[in-house]
Amino acid sequence: MDTINYNQLMSIGIYGSAIGLILIGLYAILIKKHLIKIVIGMSIVDAGVHLLFIAIGYISNGTAPIFSPMGEKLIEQGTPMVDPVPQALVLTAIVIGFGVTAVALSLVIRLYRHHNTARIDQIKSLKW
Amino acid sequence: MVVSPVHYIAVPLLAAFLMPLLAKINRELLRIVPGVVIAYLGYVSVVLMNQVVKTGTIIEVIAGWHAPWGINLVFSPFTGFLVSLMVAMAFIIWLYGYRFKSIDNEPAMRYYILFLMLVTGAVGIVLTGDIFNFFVFLEITSISAYALTAFYRDRNGAEAAFKYLLIGGFSSTFLLLAIMLLYTQVGTLNMAEIALRMHDVPTNMKITILILFLVGLGIEAEMFPLNGWAPDAYSQAPSPVGVTFAALVVKAGVYGLIRIIFTIFDVHGAYEYLIVMGAVTLVIAEFSALRQSSLKRMLAYSSIGQMGFVLIAFGIGTQEAVFGAIFLMFNHAIIKGLLFMSGSYLVFNTPNKEIQYLSGYGMKMPLISLFFSLGALAIVGLPPFAGFWSKLYILIAAADNNLIGLIALILGVSIVEIVYYFRVMGRLYFGKPAEGSIMQKPTIGGVVAMSILAVTILVVGFYPDIISSYIQSAAATLLDKAQYIHNVLPNADLSQLQNLK
Repeated sequence: MDTINYNQLMSIGIYGSAIGLILIGLYAILIKKHLIKIVIGMSIVDAGVHLLFIAIGYISNGTAPIFSPMGEKLIEQGTPMVDPVPQALVLTAIVIGFGVTAVALSLVIRLYRHHNTARIDQIKSLKW
Repeated sequence: MVVSPVHYIAVPLLAAFLMPLLAKINRELLRIVPGVVIAYLGYVSVVLMNQVVKTGTIIEVIAGWHAPWGINLVFSPFTGFLVSLMVAMAFIIWLYGYRFKSIDNEPAMRYYILFLMLVTGAVGIVLTGDIFNFFVFLEITSISAYALTAFYRDRNGAEAAFKYLLIGGFSSTFLLLAIMLLYTQVGTLNMAEIALRMHDVPTNMKITILILFLVGLGIEAEMFPLNGWAPDAYSQAPSPVGVTFAALVVKAGVYGLIRIIFTIFDVHGAYEYLIVMGAVTLVIAEFSALRQSSLKRMLAYSSIGQMGFVLIAFGIGTQEAVFGAIFLMFNHAIIKGLLFMSGSYLVFNTPNKEIQYLSGYGMKMPLISLFFSLGALAIVGLPPFAGFWSKLYILIAAADNNLIGLIALILGVSIVEIVYYFRVMGRLYFGKPAEGSIMQKPTIGGVVAMSILAVTILVVGFYPDIISSYIQSAAATLLDKAQYIHNVLPNADLSQLQNLK
């Protein structure tokens, strides 16, 4: 019983923190007025999604999906293997997120030089 | 030399990263090499399209990992048609951008690297048969599009680009969540296998995933209310980039939506949803276009409206409607391309790109004004031009399905469209010429590019048969879901597949 409770707690903790990260990031994007804070918010949302993705591929007490002598022995003994696909995808998604953040920050610098402010409520030359 | 669909992705990507080296050898190579690369892709298109007509869909297996494990590229009559259209438009945009004044002043290297990356991404979106690969290509396209939007330092490009980036970031988050939920449900990333296993997924889950996909892709496809980025990005980006958005980025987004709804999901009501969203997009965009004072923003809203029209046509979902929709995508690419190219020369030196300063330009810039008027007449769907046929086919398809209200809506909105395009034409030809306005002389490449588009509009308008056989087989391929799965996974059991349309 103890182990089940522990696993349940673990999964609630991991899924909860992933959702929490996404919500914190959304809060920063929607409420904060400073451009840098908005970019940070976007990164936090990304991190939350990545954590969620990793958590989905995780099996409790599973071994790493690597062809090593140790890993193969464990699998022969019946240990489950965690799903490697989400991990590969998250690796790609992290790189993409990095690229987006870099472009976003360079745009913030450009905006700051153009308008002499980084507050979004003072930059409004373009409107619908 | 053996050509394969992989070249569409490998060659421009390689060329993009060779650019800094080429710049060291000779500055002029920077301008020539992208054109050579895109011309080569055009050659690949011709060879592969002929092959597809003879032997059917080409499946390219990457690195020897067969579907469903590896990534595969699907070159079917439908994807092949879209890719060929994109490559052709990319070549015309290169021709137009060659020696484009402002690009020459700004660093040409960055422009061409980003342009080649954008072509790679947009073509990759259409070709790939793997849902995560699709996401990666979408991000390549978006990131290059953000950077290209902010290309000019002296405009509000950075603001438009940041807006685009913010909304694009949301789009990619939603897409990633959708892909993740889909993976938990079906345990595969190959589109054909997902489609095969879709009927086991509970309906609530299916609808949740579909909504996430629609939001994520609707942003790229300019679906209302997710299109706030488009008018700013179109008006602040360099003119060749505006054409690129209309001809490549939006087409890729619409392709994504269509692939998700037609091939992957089998949800009831998705088609009706497309019709409703398309109609809302069409009405709101056309009325917004009516009240714009800036020419480029007007063209951008008109572009959004056309995409709404495409979504309506796909939503009707019959063979004729899909035929009309693909025809309209083709027409939109060439006509809106011509409008953006000529329009940006018209407003080159006017303050804020405003329409009111264009009085009497018809006499001062006769050729450009003629091109613009040709495009305007074609896009509202007047008979001798290409735009007429796509509108006619969509209206016939709607009439066959007894959607009388929809026909009334489309024709009513067309009047709005005519009003705002003819307002510009009226100013061009019947306005009193203002004193002291400076004309921008178009480059030779620009004139050639616009002439090619204008001739294509006229030729397709008079002889739609030269293109309709390709579009016919493209529409048939898109609707035949079982054939798509069979092509990718030859041993799959198709008995459980249900076809909604």
